[in-house]
Amino acid sequence: MSKVKVEQLTKIFGKRQQQALAMIKENKDKTEILEKTGATVGVYDASFEVNEGEIFVVMGLSGSGKSTMIRLLNRLIDPTSGEIYIDGQDIAKMDKEELREVRRHKINMVFQNFGLFPHRTILENTEYGLEVRGVPKEERQQLAEQALDNSGLLSFKDQFPSQLSGGMQQRVGLARALANDPEILLMDEAFSALDPLIRREMQDELLDLQSNVQKTIIFITHDLNEALRIGDRIALMKDGQIMQIGTGEEILTHPANQYVRDFVEDVDRSKVLTAQNIMVPALTANIEVDGPNVALNRMRKEEVSMLLVVDRKRKLKGSLTADSALEARRKNLPLSDVIDKNVRTIPKDMLVTDIFNLIFDSPTPLAVVEGDRLEGVVIRGSVLESLADHQEEEGVTVDA
Amino acid sequence: MLDFLQQSLPVADWVEGFTDWLTRTFAGFFSALQHGGQFLMDGMTGLLTVIPPLLFIVVLTAAAFFISNKKWGLTLFTLIGLLFIYNQGLWSDLMSTVTLVLLSSVLSIIIGVPLGILMAKKETAKTIITPILDFMQTMPGFVYLIPAVAFFGIGMVPGVFASVIFALPPTVRFTNLGIRQIPKELVEASDSFGGTGRQKLFKLELPLAKSTILAGINQTTMLALSMVVIASMIGAPGLGRGVLSALQRAQVGNGFVNGLALVILAIIVDRFTQNINKPKQQAKKTAASRKKIGGIIAAAAAVLLLLGAFALNGNNQASKGTINLSYVEWDTEVASTHVVGEVLKEMGYDVNLTPLDNAIMWESVVNGESDGMVSAWLPNTHQAQYAQYKDQVEDLGVNLEGAKVGLVVPDYMDVESIEDLSDQANQTITGIEPGAGVVNAAEKTVQEYPNLADWHVATSSSGAMTVALGQAIQTKQPIVITGWSPHWMFAKYGLKYLEDPKGAMGQAETIHTIVRKGLKEDQPDAYNVLDNFNWTQKDMEDVMLAINDGENPEDAAKDWVKAHPDQVNDWKK
Repeated sequence: MSKVKVEQLTKIFGKRQQQALAMIKENKDKTEILEKTGATVGVYDASFEVNEGEIFVVMGLSGSGKSTMIRLLNRLIDPTSGEIYIDGQDIAKMDKEELREVRRHKINMVFQNFGLFPHRTILENTEYGLEVRGVPKEERQQLAEQALDNSGLLSFKDQFPSQLSGGMQQRVGLARALANDPEILLMDEAFSALDPLIRREMQDELLDLQSNVQKTIIFITHDLNEALRIGDRIALMKDGQIMQIGTGEEILTHPANQYVRDFVEDVDRSKVLTAQNIMVPALTANIEVDGPNVALNRMRKEEVSMLLVVDRKRKLKGSLTADSALEARRKNLPLSDVIDKNVRTIPKDMLVTDIFNLIFDSPTPLAVVEGDRLEGVVIRGSVLESLADHQEEEGVTVDA
Repeated sequence: MLDFLQQSLPVADWVEGFTDWLTRTFAGFFSALQHGGQFLMDGMTGLLTVIPPLLFIVVLTAAAFFISNKKWGLTLFTLIGLLFIYNQGLWSDLMSTVTLVLLSSVLSIIIGVPLGILMAKKETAKTIITPILDFMQTMPGFVYLIPAVAFFGIGMVPGVFASVIFALPPTVRFTNLGIRQIPKELVEASDSFGGTGRQKLFKLELPLAKSTILAGINQTTMLALSMVVIASMIGAPGLGRGVLSALQRAQVGNGFVNGLALVILAIIVDRFTQNINKPKQQAKKTAASRKKIGGIIAAAAAVLLLLGAFALNGNNQASKGTINLSYVEWDTEVASTHVVGEVLKEMGYDVNLTPLDNAIMWESVVNGESDGMVSAWLPNTHQAQYAQYKDQVEDLGVNLEGAKVGLVVPDYMDVESIEDLSDQANQTITGIEPGAGVVNAAEKTVQEYPNLADWHVATSSSGAMTVALGQAIQTKQPIVITGWSPHWMFAKYGLKYLEDPKGAMGQAETIHTIVRKGLKEDQPDAYNVLDNFNWTQKDMEDVMLAINDGENPEDAAKDWVKAHPDQVNDWKK
């Protein structure tokens, strides 16, 4: 039996909702309905199930209704119609008291901007859920400290949220939800306000956590990569309606319609791919200022074993392997003495099919240049990917 | 429709009727409030004045030192400012004002914060309350004095009532704003953990809105302070009374000193409330300083309580009772009322002298809030009031003969009679307070004489009128004023009454003593003095001149009483 089951859930904001509903059935889009009736369609006719222990991702652009959807699940927003079953109970029909019990024990939420109370310390924030439940002070502080300890923030418990970095604050937000030991965790774009590096870290942490605690997680994001990384299943929304539900693989391979296909950044097939479509930014060392130590440091950080070497004007000078950089460090030589000047270069407008032939016998990535300025590099993976997509598309007709 | 436009709607009558109905229906409730409030305020003012001023100043200075985080600016300002007020002899006035402001602010908070919360939670409430707040804030403060007097009579209670109405809106608005400004996400967070409305309010909304609410309260205290001056027109004691009487008697210096005292008080109150509102620097630090402040407050409270206990023990002197006399701030009445008050004081009464507006003075005697007055000009000047109230008061007869009112001009103007007036002095009669009897007489006069058809009576105040007269005489400009004798201006300038062939300004008048019904049974001795009190124009002008030459009314009255023991003894018989 599924943990959460949603059936024909609809939320319309504003007035003249009947008229708006009628217009949706005629497949009118959101802006048109808004202009005509003044009503905003938040969510329309959504049905899905979430299984126990699953990370279910709801994805969509802004305005697609995903935030409304998640707030319907714990009734921060009351639905216009439809049913929301949690453990077989319809929470849409509960009175305030019953709903409060569900919120206190079963379902908790993590917010995009962390939703921490600025006037309370980290510990006081973390114990909030237990506090409103009426758990005695000793016990709730112990639970809160435990939750903070799990996320490595115990030493900050007497600080205020403003004294912590964004990543730490979001860990507190997560700890606050977990301190309650809920069965379901709602995460509303929880990592969107963080910078990309911390974001990846948090995603990993969430996956670790999930392997330990086995919660049912409903995760909202507008970022396809995030969805693919953490989602067991993904629901893609547009204008309040669910376009497709499936695993990441299913969505990438069998997009249900044109919108999904565009969303998963399917490349425009009307053009033929060239080097500049598939190149990635190059990792470089600057021959005029960097020494072997800097170069090694950069390799370590980026987890690669070679760099391209350029001068200040981004003119390509050669390539540098980790071995030669180590040698230069030992012998105290400048970089210019150890670089390999024979780098394969290709022009920006070279076709993928031609690159394909070059890349197989090249040990190093191909440098994409314009004149002698370095623009990027082409690596083996991207070529293969583009070709694979290309072959798959052969059978599909495209609306020009 | 046209009919409707041509006939004015009797809105004034409706309001009048409604207020009368309120006053009648809730008379018991109002009077309970009035007595409770009066008792509370007298107690508070009493307690505040019992503390030796210098000790109080030291305590407040210490409080300022700690509240401002040990900055010297506010500390020194508090010390010097309060010492200045003490030095000017305005300490007890200051304490009355503090009582008024404190009570108004506290009441505004008690009423305003819950209202603000209601507004923030319910859209309907917001829609209903907002226009009411606009109305309250823009309606001139004077207007609130009228029903205040009808409900609560004179004194501090109506003053507080009016101040609360006037000062309430900022607290309500800012509370509403503070709660509405809390990020939606935080509110959602509280809800999503299953917090109840109460928990949300006390754990999240009020703590976060605190500084906004305190800013509103700060505004409220400032507005309450500004109402203090206005409320003194209906007998609220304090610094405002000094400002008002300075205005009515055109004493720049006195007005400045009282005003400055208000400014000092306002700045201290403002800085105190603002400093309480300072955001937390570091939690631990503030906890320590909170303890300190708490300690200081506790110590201060202990000291005050001890002193209060001493004072109450020491204050149990036998008093014969309290006599409340009211008067109008005309120079004649200031003189006579202070003399009578002085005599009653010597007999062992506690005497309160309350300056009021003319109509309110009559009303206060009618409701027994004042025991009496010696300022009724009859039969003409106070004709309207006398006609209205004569059955509800006791007229003890004349205390001064040969008082006269009329239109007065400087003797360099070549008019002798009202009928000679044509286009002099911009066709303006310079009058005094709008409610005064002589102004009513002047307005009647303008209607009765055809040559005054284009004239009008400009009202101001007794003080402003004498200033205008002095200026006109200095520059030899023509001026027509509503004058009355006895008055020191006749001694100071060359003036003449204009003949009044139609008798519209009234003939020679007498000043009567009017007391409330039942005074004879309650305070026979005081009644007796008031009954016997009478003197001559000459006597009165002696006192008036002394006051006008800068002596304070009490001292002038004392001097006169000392100088005329026989006459005073005659009154006591």
